Amino acid sequence: MFSLMSGLWSYMFSKTEFHVLILGIDKAGKTTFLEKLKTIYSISEGLPHDRIVPTVGLNIGRIEVSNAKIVFWDLGGQPGLRSIWEKYYEEAHALIYLIDAACPTRFEDSKSALEKALRHEDLQGAPLLILANKQDLPSAVSAEELDRYLDLKKLDERVYMFEAVSGYDGRGIKESIEWLVGVMERSKRTETLRAREGYAPVPTS
Amino acid sequence: MGIVFTKLFSSVFGNKEARILVLGLDNAGKTTILYRLQMGEVVSTIPTIGFNVETVQYNNIKFQVWDLGGQTSIRPYWRCYFPNTQAVIYVVDSSDTDRIGVAKEEFHAILEEEELKGAMVLIFANKQDLPGALDDAAVTEALELHKIKSRQWAIFKTCAVKGEGLFEGLDWLSNTLKSGSG
Repeated sequence: MFSLMSGLWSYMFSKTEFHVLILGIDKAGKTTFLEKLKTIYSISEGLPHDRIVPTVGLNIGRIEVSNAKIVFWDLGGQPGLRSIWEKYYEEAHALIYLIDAACPTRFEDSKSALEKALRHEDLQGAPLLILANKQDLPSAVSAEELDRYLDLKKLDERVYMFEAVSGYDGRGIKESIEWLVGVMERSKRTETLRAREGYAPVPTS
Repeated sequence: MGIVFTKLFSSVFGNKEARILVLGLDNAGKTTILYRLQMGEVVSTIPTIGFNVETVQYNNIKFQVWDLGGQTSIRPYWRCYFPNTQAVIYVVDSSDTDRIGVAKEEFHAILEEEELKGAMVLIFANKQDLPGALDDAAVTEALELHKIKSRQWAIFKTCAVKGEGLFEGLDWLSNTLKSGSG
């Protein structure tokens, strides 16, 4: 009887699937971050750092956290490839934007690519997690400093957070993901996307 | 190249039978790529059902090649070659801008196949040595690769006759297959 009830329970409250875009300019550390994520949250072992090459396409990571399934889309960040980013906006529940916190000379480039993404109407209302990556390097600036450097305008209506992480040693990643899952579960955008799907489960293959 | 290839793929599949399909329109450079990899003898077979499939057996990995496009009557038979496919290598003649639209249609049609849903996709933007060849970003756009959202993909600029770019692509493929997240 219990198994029957629990079966019904899980049928009715099956895990929501979230799509999270991981963006950032080239060399920000997106793929290393994703591979670390996979190592932390799933049994599959992520790629070792020395095997990671610049992404020229799409990497996918799937994890399960508490009651949510998350599919991460990691897209290449080289200038010529950034044009495809926006093709993935419409179906994304949230955006993770990575910045190499140890490379101030590229903050401007990072900032303008992020601002461009945020202006896009397909990303309206999507929660934003900005990660000051590469905290394992001594020269990395903190999340607060990065916030000041970027001086992003017009973020007021968007749920966002700055967090310091390292895709290399993994610090800050769990806190970031927990925050992200929380805000996605409560966000209006999630409701909108769910309504558009007509409550049909998203194909996962 | 042959030795490098052995190193790359020897640990990926263990003893499991695996299949990698090398597809594209005619004249994209598929067979040239197979020869370039020097993995073994390319055996050309023309089954009675009427389309030409080239096969290279490399340890437990079977590379199979045929042309997409054209004759619709024989297409149902393609399915015989779909089971256990871990990856699709799609080869495009980047200089053939007249037919890139057809290449796109065929590409997305084949990805719709149920038995290929789990396969990851490697795209070779081939013939980069020819004048007017589209670069990787332009081929990405033309093939509408962004429509792929539930599997991993990567695109590499290649010149099969010189062997350029092939190794980088296969390196990606073996890494991705190893990390097991198709």
